[in-house]
Amino acid sequence: MREEVLGELRSIVGMDWVITSEDAIKPYLYDETPVPIRPRASDDVVVVKPGSTEEVSRILVLANKYRIPVFPRGGGTGLAGACIPTISGIILSLERMNRVTVDVENLIAEAEAGATLRDLMNAAEKAGLSFQPHPGDEGAQIGGLIACNAGGARAIKTGIMRNCVKGIEVVLPTGEIAKLGGKILKNNAGYDLMQLIIGSEGTLGIITKAWIRLQPIDAAAMTIIVPFDNREKALKAVPKIFQEGIIPLAVEYVEKRLVERVAREIGLRWPCNSGEYQLMIILSEPSEEALLSTSERLLNICESLGALGSVAAEARREQEEVLKIRSEIYTTLKPDMVDILDVTVPPSKLIDLIRAINEIEAKYGVYIPVYGHAGDGNLHIHLMRWNCWSEEDYEIVRRTIYDIAIGMGGTITGEHGIGYVRKKYLESFAGGRLLELMREIKRIFDPNGILNPDKVLP
Amino acid sequence: MGQEFRIIVLIKQVPDIEKVRFDVDTGRVDRSSAPGETNPFDLHALEAGLQIKERFGGSITIISMGPRQAESSLKDALARGADRAILLTDPRLAGADTIATAKALAATIKKLGRFDLILCGEKTVDGDTGQVGPEVAELLEIPHAAYVCEIREVTRESIKVVSDMGDKYLYELKLPALLTVTRELNSPRLPTLKGLLRAKRAEIEIWTADNLLEYASIDQLGFQGSKTRVTKVIIPGVEHRKGIILRGDDAVKKISEVILREVLRR
Repeated sequence: MREEVLGELRSIVGMDWVITSEDAIKPYLYDETPVPIRPRASDDVVVVKPGSTEEVSRILVLANKYRIPVFPRGGGTGLAGACIPTISGIILSLERMNRVTVDVENLIAEAEAGATLRDLMNAAEKAGLSFQPHPGDEGAQIGGLIACNAGGARAIKTGIMRNCVKGIEVVLPTGEIAKLGGKILKNNAGYDLMQLIIGSEGTLGIITKAWIRLQPIDAAAMTIIVPFDNREKALKAVPKIFQEGIIPLAVEYVEKRLVERVAREIGLRWPCNSGEYQLMIILSEPSEEALLSTSERLLNICESLGALGSVAAEARREQEEVLKIRSEIYTTLKPDMVDILDVTVPPSKLIDLIRAINEIEAKYGVYIPVYGHAGDGNLHIHLMRWNCWSEEDYEIVRRTIYDIAIGMGGTITGEHGIGYVRKKYLESFAGGRLLELMREIKRIFDPNGILNPDKVLP
Repeated sequence: MGQEFRIIVLIKQVPDIEKVRFDVDTGRVDRSSAPGETNPFDLHALEAGLQIKERFGGSITIISMGPRQAESSLKDALARGADRAILLTDPRLAGADTIATAKALAATIKKLGRFDLILCGEKTVDGDTGQVGPEVAELLEIPHAAYVCEIREVTRESIKVVSDMGDKYLYELKLPALLTVTRELNSPRLPTLKGLLRAKRAEIEIWTADNLLEYASIDQLGFQGSKTRVTKVIIPGVEHRKGIILRGDDAVKKISEVILREVLRR
């Protein structure tokens, strides 16, 4: 990067917040995308850490002047390489902008983009409220969660980020600061540009602040593991639970051999040893009485559908332990992982999708670990390092799974996004005129193409 | 057929130690700031009991002393497979130190009659003394082993255990005996949902000081019977690290000033 540009950057954010040393830049180059598929980060980058929205704005004006690419970065927990600087430019880390305040009366948190999910949850709890969705790693930052419209296991009850965000402050690629929405629950004034920015993966603007809807704290929660000896029985129980009016906080489908392996590797024990196919159901209710009556109904439904002996964790520590095993699946598999797919199909088609994955397993003689958000049809499918498999072999399997999902009326990514690694598949899902529209939108927002180039659009 | 194998598990409800707040002025735990939970070590004691019961049959009786809200921990133990639960609750038992607590628990056990094995957690996460278990054994005049991390062998007459006192010791104890157990001993099972729902509706036996008077006098119990007093609790403050970047010609001077100031402050 030219010294003249560095000087100008320093004059905007201060000496200490322009990072040029190789060692200090290293942690900002990649995210959690599996190594075999992630792109190579450029060596010629600088990390800039603005302290205010105005500074972000001035940086973008400068970047436009010199046509320097800007790569916004949150907590680096993404899985599609959306924040990896593939070409020379500025990595814009919003970590210093991490204040969270809570407006109890309106049940709204005002969070700066660099605050982490954990910061938001803690601030809400301190104010006697909660941020119930758990749309990812707790180290993920608010800006990133919104930019990739994160989902997570609790989406069936709480919605995804798109449903929780009521307003954003965003710096447009050309430097203007815009406030879209706010502490309001309804807003019908013109096109909803806020919803356009949400999920745009840092390509249309840099989110600097957000107004996020909070909930009252539920008084009682329970994590139940319901085992079945047959996959279809397990998955068929899910719509039945909803039809009976029970909306759990999460319904996760897991296979015992996978969660037992993960538990062993992190020194824990998976607490349910009957039935290979299991649902992990979290109930969260406003009172102890409500929780008991709901869990009783749930037990009856599942037993009538052939569930084996369900176990239940009530103590916080024990619930956290179960959740920890579930959330460590990715990290445990990662060293041997080539790709993680997160295709999503209509919930009723989940059985067919898993059956199709089993057929692929049988055809190639491999084990494909799967688990997923059974309540919303979002399945995580892991392509692992298999002996003598070439990139072309993986590509065939990947394409096959995408085609199956699309054929079922689904999508190639339910929550991880397109980022860098799925760009080339976007066309098959949103081809022709749709892609053209997306390109036009990008051009209008970012005429010089400086903001997170090389991402989302093929 | 011999007699039924009778196991007693001593448990305590403690505040969720990661959430609880301390009142710095009074040095007391603000119990309303965190929900109660079963002392985590005690769950390992219960699990050991359940495994022995699975082998020999018999029964598990849970005893706890505490306020009425501790009933939820007793119900949790029933849900996991215990057969009977007794809560000692009485203002006259409140404020007990370890010896007064052990007196009350030992009196309860004596009143219950014959038993084969008493199990407890190595310590509680709130009191952290590790004394109550061994004290109960002494009062009952039975052998005990503390910090048991492995149970090697159980028969109707004796139990062989490994005790982790920094170094590991192998003990064989004649039954009846008392063990305090560590987390390493086992992984506590979760209750079945069915068992949990059943236990929620169960009635917990409530005993007061009156139930114990046959084996302990009132002046041996509660605050009155306590030989120790908490006079002051000090909660160490958390010091947050601070980063200051100094540059320019007078940086060295400023750094030496800061160092001197900090050194003098201590």
